[in-house]
Amino acid sequence: MKPADVALNFGTPSGSPRTSSDFEELNYPHHHTATSNSPTGSLGWTAVPRREEELPLPHYMSEDTARRRVPRAPAVDGGETFVAQDEKHPMDYDVYDDGGKDVYAKMKAARGPVGSGRLRRPPAPPPTTVGELIQQNLEHIPPIIYTLLACWTRFHKIGKSGNVIWDEAHFGKFGSHYLKREFYFDVHPPLGKMLVGLAGLLSGYDGSFDFKSGEAYPEHVPYTAMRVIMATFGVAMVPLGWYTAVELGMSWRACHLVALMVLFDVAWLCISRFILLDSMLLFFTFTTVFCLSKFHNQQYHSFSFDWWMWLAMTGISIGCVTSVKWVGLFVTALVGLYTIEDLWDKFGDLKMPVRDQIRHWGARIGCLIVLPILVYMASFKLHFLILNHSGPGDAQMSSLFQANLVGNDFASNPLDVAFGSKVTLKNMGWGGGLLHSHVQTYPVGSNQQQVTCYHYKDENNDWYITPRWGEPEPDAEGPIRFLQDGDVIRLRHAATTRNLHSHPIPAPVTKLNHEVSCYGNLTIGDEHDYWVVEVVDDIKRGKKNNVDKIHSLTTRLRFRHQVLGCYLRAANAILPQWGFKQVEVSCEKENNPGDVHTYWNVESHWNDRLPRGNTKFYRSPFLRDFWHLNVAMMTSNNALIPDPDKEDILASKPLDWPFLRLGLRMCGWGDNQTKYYLLGTPVIWWAGTTSLVVSLLVLAVYLIRMQRRYADMEPREWDHFIYVGKIAFFGWFLHYFPFMIMGRVTYVHHYLPTLYFSVLMFAHLVDHFVLTSKRFSEKTKWIVFGALSFTIFACFWWFRGLAFGMDGPINEHWGLRWRRLEYL
Amino acid sequence: MSGVQDVRQRNKGKGINRDASGPSSAVDYDDHNVAYLPSRSYIESFLNTEEASAAVVAILTIIAFFTRFYKINHPDQVVFDEVHFGKFASYYIRREYYFDVHPPLAKLLFGLAGWFVGYDGHFDFENIGDSYTENHVPYVGLRALPAILGSLTVPIVYAIMKECGYSTIIAAFSAIIILFDNAHVAQSRLILLDATLIFFLSLTMYSYVRFKKLRYQEFSPQWWGWLLATGTFMACTWASKVNGILTVVAVGVAVLIDLWDILDYKKGHSMQYFWKHFIARAAGLIALPLVIYLSVFWVHLAILSNTGPGDAFMSPSFQETLRGNELLMKSHEIRYYDTVTIKHKDTQVYLHSHPERYPLKYDDGRISSQGQQVTGYGHEDSNNQWQIIPTKALPETGRGRIVRHEDVIQLLHVNTGTVLMTHDVASPLMATNEEFTTWPKDDHSRYNDTLFHLRLSDAAPGEAWKSKSGHFRLIHVPTKVAMWSHPTQLPDWAFKQQEINGNKNANEKGAVWYVNEIVDSQDPDLKAKLEEVEMKEPKRLNFFKKFGELQLLMLQHNAGLTASHPYASGPINWPFLLSGISFWTQNEGQKQIYLIGNIIGWWASVGGICIYIGILGADLLARRRGLEPIPDDVRNRLWNSTGFFIIVWAVHYFPFYLMSRQLFIHHYLPSHVASALVAGSVLSFVLSETINTPVSAWGPSVKPRPTTYADHGVKAPVMVAVFAIAMFSLYLFISPLTYGTPGYVHSFQSSLRTMLTHLLTVSCRLTGEQVNARRLLSSWTLHFAAKESGNI
Repeated sequence: MKPADVALNFGTPSGSPRTSSDFEELNYPHHHTATSNSPTGSLGWTAVPRREEELPLPHYMSEDTARRRVPRAPAVDGGETFVAQDEKHPMDYDVYDDGGKDVYAKMKAARGPVGSGRLRRPPAPPPTTVGELIQQNLEHIPPIIYTLLACWTRFHKIGKSGNVIWDEAHFGKFGSHYLKREFYFDVHPPLGKMLVGLAGLLSGYDGSFDFKSGEAYPEHVPYTAMRVIMATFGVAMVPLGWYTAVELGMSWRACHLVALMVLFDVAWLCISRFILLDSMLLFFTFTTVFCLSKFHNQQYHSFSFDWWMWLAMTGISIGCVTSVKWVGLFVTALVGLYTIEDLWDKFGDLKMPVRDQIRHWGARIGCLIVLPILVYMASFKLHFLILNHSGPGDAQMSSLFQANLVGNDFASNPLDVAFGSKVTLKNMGWGGGLLHSHVQTYPVGSNQQQVTCYHYKDENNDWYITPRWGEPEPDAEGPIRFLQDGDVIRLRHAATTRNLHSHPIPAPVTKLNHEVSCYGNLTIGDEHDYWVVEVVDDIKRGKKNNVDKIHSLTTRLRFRHQVLGCYLRAANAILPQWGFKQVEVSCEKENNPGDVHTYWNVESHWNDRLPRGNTKFYRSPFLRDFWHLNVAMMTSNNALIPDPDKEDILASKPLDWPFLRLGLRMCGWGDNQTKYYLLGTPVIWWAGTTSLVVSLLVLAVYLIRMQRRYADMEPREWDHFIYVGKIAFFGWFLHYFPFMIMGRVTYVHHYLPTLYFSVLMFAHLVDHFVLTSKRFSEKTKWIVFGALSFTIFACFWWFRGLAFGMDGPINEHWGLRWRRLEYL
Repeated sequence: MSGVQDVRQRNKGKGINRDASGPSSAVDYDDHNVAYLPSRSYIESFLNTEEASAAVVAILTIIAFFTRFYKINHPDQVVFDEVHFGKFASYYIRREYYFDVHPPLAKLLFGLAGWFVGYDGHFDFENIGDSYTENHVPYVGLRALPAILGSLTVPIVYAIMKECGYSTIIAAFSAIIILFDNAHVAQSRLILLDATLIFFLSLTMYSYVRFKKLRYQEFSPQWWGWLLATGTFMACTWASKVNGILTVVAVGVAVLIDLWDILDYKKGHSMQYFWKHFIARAAGLIALPLVIYLSVFWVHLAILSNTGPGDAFMSPSFQETLRGNELLMKSHEIRYYDTVTIKHKDTQVYLHSHPERYPLKYDDGRISSQGQQVTGYGHEDSNNQWQIIPTKALPETGRGRIVRHEDVIQLLHVNTGTVLMTHDVASPLMATNEEFTTWPKDDHSRYNDTLFHLRLSDAAPGEAWKSKSGHFRLIHVPTKVAMWSHPTQLPDWAFKQQEINGNKNANEKGAVWYVNEIVDSQDPDLKAKLEEVEMKEPKRLNFFKKFGELQLLMLQHNAGLTASHPYASGPINWPFLLSGISFWTQNEGQKQIYLIGNIIGWWASVGGICIYIGILGADLLARRRGLEPIPDDVRNRLWNSTGFFIIVWAVHYFPFYLMSRQLFIHHYLPSHVASALVAGSVLSFVLSETINTPVSAWGPSVKPRPTTYADHGVKAPVMVAVFAIAMFSLYLFISPLTYGTPGYVHSFQSSLRTMLTHLLTVSCRLTGEQVNARRLLSSWTLHFAAKESGNI
């Protein structure tokens, strides 16, 4: 520990007194001037006679000599003065020796501070007897016990309800799709659902059940086994919580607290017991924090094997958590912030060779950016490899991708598009859908029939290509007229016989574009129904010049409105509820030839007079599919906005969560059903949230005291206090705040990953104020610890029925009534 | 590089010495600045004389007045939000109560201006495009107010820069960005709040800078003066428009940083000293602004003493303080056996029943009770009449017959002789809610189901139930549901009337009703009272209660402004001027007003911010590596002075990202002023690394330091002149869109002669191509543009 570090870490957080002060800094106090000229003052920090402090804050540490309040002179200047000093006095430990009470300093005598203050032990000799084995692994006994307890809570009566509970309806179904290998579409990335599929495979499920919500499981669905496999992720949360607390340098009692809270939270328990993604999301969130704390403790052994391993493990964890749900991006952001701060510190280390600097940067980029992206992409690659049959999600993907699915008949469609053909038109923008219309009308603008972009296949997507008004309809006997570049056509909606129409009325969402509607019928219409076909190019044949006839699937087209000169466009703008949240179609006044959202291709094509096609298609490139699917997921996710006309009793607002204002019913509420209710253990949630508020106050008090030069902690102690606090606070904040500004509909289970960080904060603060404080006797610590543990356990026991399943009429469970009486 | 480093190190050593060895070493310390002194160019010293500076600011102010007042009478029609703010001025003059989301100061000033020019407030500003001349509105007087304030903003911006120690030419640069900005001009010429907001914002900044400069003369009269001025102008900003609250936040952030520095142990101040500073700021920047803000509202409420269009927003007790208010005039205590009509507060439908019955089976297969329908009906009808039946013994006469809070009552439908009831049967449209129906009054078999608890809003126990003002909920006694309605129509079998049902959550908003009218009464006194209409004196209500209610409503309604607007734009578009707002169009003559800024000025400003961030970022990185590329004085200037502008900019900009209400580009104008200041100081830094020091006034405890001067040489005036000409040309080019005049220039290349002719002749119009030429960015959406692509 070098004095330079002391001085630097000691001052204002900005590290540079100049930045935060005014530019004329002349009125230093007298004793300061005296100090800087005194002999000891040359070291930059020394014990000046303590001033009677002006900030009379009673402090809990007042009797504790370990965390001395040593008043120190300010660091006179930046680090450079000390660099010179260091060379003269390389080891100046004795200067601030406090009589052997500084436990943190004594733990490690090697150079450099230890982040978490944990001692690295030499490896023990291999055990010879069982007793010795136990002796050596004593520290692992509590987590093993906790794991066994977790097995009991997680697996106890797990198959009690033989019905499809809550979102099992979705995720069970998606798992089935993997077993049947049919392509489906969902807003979440595929890793979690593939694991559900794997669980089904391992437990011998054949994928034939369609998981209707609330329905009873038939004989052949091994739902208990699948739930057990999912719950195993929930079991693993408990030891992960323990070891994370250990790595964060908490005292043994605090580690117990963290493990108990993870073990006994009813919400975590409840959500882990079903076929859902949340147990995996939580598991990977926990592993990410665990790996990060492991990596942090390797910080003075850069480029060692362990260092590399934990860095890479962090990256892989990030990749996994993001591949389960996008919520994982929040924990990724936490790792990102940590890394930025870490690199900023490294960047300021003038003694570090440039080569090491570059290696540090490279390691972070490789392990924390490239590796997670690879994991994420690999999950999609696997997704595409498994799902190679045509299924319900086809229409979300590009036509070319669909053509390559087993069971798809695009290849046998007629190749050349002609007048009189019935076609479906696919938008080629990322995430584009099929041109669609339905009998419902716009409630705004022209009040004519709606035209949208739709991502599922039905008859309302079919359009006939017809010539202009006055031109003869395609004759069944006459010559076939093929569609060519520059032809003017009408597009007749097959189901309603109305024509695709546009007029100078603002579109409902993209108000600067013209509205597109369906108007008229077989005989009524006007010149606003005319669209000019413009060929862009052909995927197979290349440039526009090579395109003589328009081919289905491969030719990229644009449709220009002949009168208005605008282009038919669908760009992932979502219509409100009256448009069933489908994608808006409008007519873009600007001509942007490069805008893929104005590109369309013919997807399905029916024409009895033309020969059936027999084409081999290019494989759609993986990166294209990957990107397309991600944009489609994004668009669907954005469409999940709360419907103002309908009150969703399951949904809740982020403000409801931290103090657990309400829970979530997970199944029907009939008297004969087993009922589950997603509600946390109140004391854990309340304690966590309160500790977050307290942490900010504590930080403010410490900072103000530092500004007045009260030293409450040793620099490394302070560093450690801040480090754990930062992980917990920013982890919580990053997982919580985005939900506040998100337009999306939110549910209480979105808070579950967030809860972990508030638990860590609670344990951290209890640790800081009580469990590691020298002010309290062992007995007091035991009492506090015992009281907390008992409260947590008792509260869990009281509410255990919510997760284990409640039988009988709900009114008999009066003791579990929660604040909104009508819900439980 | 190493040489530079040596110098810094040397300076550092001396910097430490200077504390000990006194004034003599100060010269050494500043040696590298002193070196510039002799070379200060002639033009620089000339421009920075008092006279030159005064001349520059005078010229800028005159041009500002000219640009803001030019053709201020055109168009003589209601433009954009004049619809609102003009109307509010009328209300002040008519003293009729209105409700708006913005605090009243700026609107009060409009009212004052209107009163000043003799406007009688007769015009209602109904639609954009309504003619002022036809309606004899002295609108020029109203528009003159923001035009004056908008013009004065230019010299204030200049003064801020001057006070911060920048050269005349740099201060002029910042002022020119505001002076020739089409958006500021357009916004200042019309009856809108933003000019007032920006005026007070710039005054706040100016006062704060003056205050900060006096920090070595703390607690002197001038120091107090500028502190209180800061507080006053800050309160005025806040009271002008609701986003003025951001100015309070910005000043708050600056003050917190300031206090944090005072708290610093190294400064050697005692805690007593700190608390003195703290209390002074609390008084000047919290207490005083609050008092001013409240008094503005007090004036507002004192003026608006008559009933007006804003009544309906307010609570009954508030409404009763307004002269001539319906509640005040027609509110009577209700007695048992009175016949009344009952209205739903949110949707204004009557509680209605008719002999038709609910169909046995609904479309979705659910079964009804087939009881008599109870619906919500929007029109007057004898089927809306209900008689209040007591459930307790009543005295023959007297006040014992009055219906009171928490009474249990029955409601008898007069025409069908049935009483209102509800029961555990699902309502026609919502399976979760209970069906409302009626039951024959003589059949006592379901007596209990016809009992309702009358629960008045905010009532004391035993309070009498009054028509109009007595808002109430009707809670069913056995099942605890509240009579509730929502704007959904029943099918044809109920003539598309509105559904009424029993909601389990009695606290829902849609469960509030009131008695619209007492149709008939058995009480002769009341009957007589109903006949005559007397002029009642308005009641009085505590100002703070009124203020609290109004403030809460303003916040709620402000957050509720989420409807989409074709010209609304996201904050990300604003600094780059990606979109404007069409304020007004007139087909005849193809005239339009389009709010858009001067691209050169806006991009220079946003460029300035980017360069500033770049400089600081590079400096931080360099210092992290032990290099110090910027001299300390200059660096401090960048952090402290420009930093303040950046805080103002950021605080007035970033919160908009969190707002879900509709946003317009004019919300960026306060930030744009701040960014112009940033651009000026960045230009100063880029041109030369010299600054004018010291700018702060010396105090008794501080040793004087030698004066240094900034020197930008000849290149600064030249650059700024070129910039000004470019700004002016583009300003002229876009001005047809700003002033709504058909252009007096075809394009900015045209000669002075054509300019003059066009100044005189207003009739010629911009062709489509000329409109297209003015569309500098493809994202601007102008009217009357030429069609780009012809037909095939």
